[in-house]
Amino acid sequence: MSILVSTLNLAAIYSLVAIGISLTWAGLGFLNLAHGVIFTVAGYGAWWTAEHISTSPWIVVLAGIAVGAAAGAAVCLGVYLPLDGRRNWEIRTLTATLAISFLGANVLQEAFGPEPKQLPSLFGSGQFKIGDTVVTADKSGAIVTAVVVLAILVVGLLRSRVGLGIRVLTQNAEGAAIVGINRRRLAFAILAVSGALAGLASVLLAQVFYVSPDSGYVPLVTGLIVALLGGLGSIPGTIAAAVLVAAVEALTATYLGGQYVLMTMFLLIAVVLLIRPRGLGGLLESARA
Amino acid sequence: MTAALEVRGLSAGYGPMQVVHDVSLTVGRGERVGLLGLNGHGKTTLLRAIVNLVGWRVGQVELHGRTLMGLATHAAASRGVVLIPQGDALFPGLTVRDNLDSGAYGSRSWHRRGQRRDRVLDIFPQLASRLDQPAGTLSGGERRMVSIGRGLMAEGDLYLVDEPSVGLAPILAVSMIQTLFSLELDGGGMLLAEQNRALIDGQIDRVLHLHGGRLTDGPEAADGKPGDAGGRGATVRA
Repeated sequence: MSILVSTLNLAAIYSLVAIGISLTWAGLGFLNLAHGVIFTVAGYGAWWTAEHISTSPWIVVLAGIAVGAAAGAAVCLGVYLPLDGRRNWEIRTLTATLAISFLGANVLQEAFGPEPKQLPSLFGSGQFKIGDTVVTADKSGAIVTAVVVLAILVVGLLRSRVGLGIRVLTQNAEGAAIVGINRRRLAFAILAVSGALAGLASVLLAQVFYVSPDSGYVPLVTGLIVALLGGLGSIPGTIAAAVLVAAVEALTATYLGGQYVLMTMFLLIAVVLLIRPRGLGGLLESARA
Repeated sequence: MTAALEVRGLSAGYGPMQVVHDVSLTVGRGERVGLLGLNGHGKTTLLRAIVNLVGWRVGQVELHGRTLMGLATHAAASRGVVLIPQGDALFPGLTVRDNLDSGAYGSRSWHRRGQRRDRVLDIFPQLASRLDQPAGTLSGGERRMVSIGRGLMAEGDLYLVDEPSVGLAPILAVSMIQTLFSLELDGGGMLLAEQNRALIDGQIDRVLHLHGGRLTDGPEAADGKPGDAGGRGATVRA
């Protein structure tokens, strides 16, 4: 039971991080390695807000989301748009975002020091019991928040014009241009929304772990794994992959020890991709090709 | 009155390769023009060059008197140029409904997409039961219907149709072409590439011939006499 709660808590956070990576990759062909630093910057933004403006949970969460969205938009304006369509733009955006990733961690360390920062508690310190398992408020709060936000995101993607445009981009770039979709304009929306989701994930994870200059690396790697495993561009696939990865992590940590988590995770991705090279998305969306 | 489409001295290609050579043509309002030519003689490249979906292009392309040069493909599409490409370029993982609705992405048709979808379903009733199915699971004929249907979702001013018969069983090809020719053009024009002349005979206003990337009808084929060697203008207005 406690494994189930940990799984859902991790899955919630991983989904939020990975959907951004997945949509950016599938929709724009752009692998954004700065996603981890966007995550960290949003965490610092929330911490700074709590220190200087207000510790109200709503304001702290909104600050994290807003700073994440702004950081995502900055990557769009500073990296994606200037390089899009140039020679070798895929490898150049990859290099640029990797550089931002390293630079960002060092700039944050220079600005705020190496010591971890603690965010105020968002969901209080309450807890309740399901059977004989204690569920803490921060874990259940993170799960509920992520589920609500993911539901809003999915409805937006399925119902709105921009949502259709993003889904179309993940399928066929030429077809998208033919029906009048402006990829560069949608890139801004995709990266800002991805950043906002990463910002929310950052604030939620900071309820358990502190914010530090390199706290975005592990979410970046896990997010990449989940995005790949889910099948790029597939929202249901990404959520399913997040649950799978989180379950493997929770089970490994409980029965084998935390030091084996990365190993079992890479084992999982190797096995899944051997069987389903396109990731889980192909199972859930019966046709892609 | 300006033509729906006016092309002057258009050359286009990919990298060092030139495929289309100095092509000039017009498509009048409400006119359906056939573009005949063998495989590999530049029909597809010519249609794609009109919407800037080629490596490079020079010359002049005007839609209702306004230039399309310098506009990206999506911008030409939002001006009302509808390309129904060879190979369909559908979105296989999205439902038929989403595929159709994507054709109405331009802001002026988006709010009327329900109405326009109903119209497409009137034309292709077979798609009605497939609306919630991923387009990737359809048969070749149904995919073509979705592709054409997606083109009809936009309130287009110019339809560029690239070999609608390719890959279809003969009987299906005939009905697909007939469907295309029975559409109301509302002052727009249609340029339809085809290599099977028998399919479009008797239904088209005018035929242009493309050979080796050049129009063999001369720079302007609008004055063709019925029944001459090129066969242009040989048909009755649909």
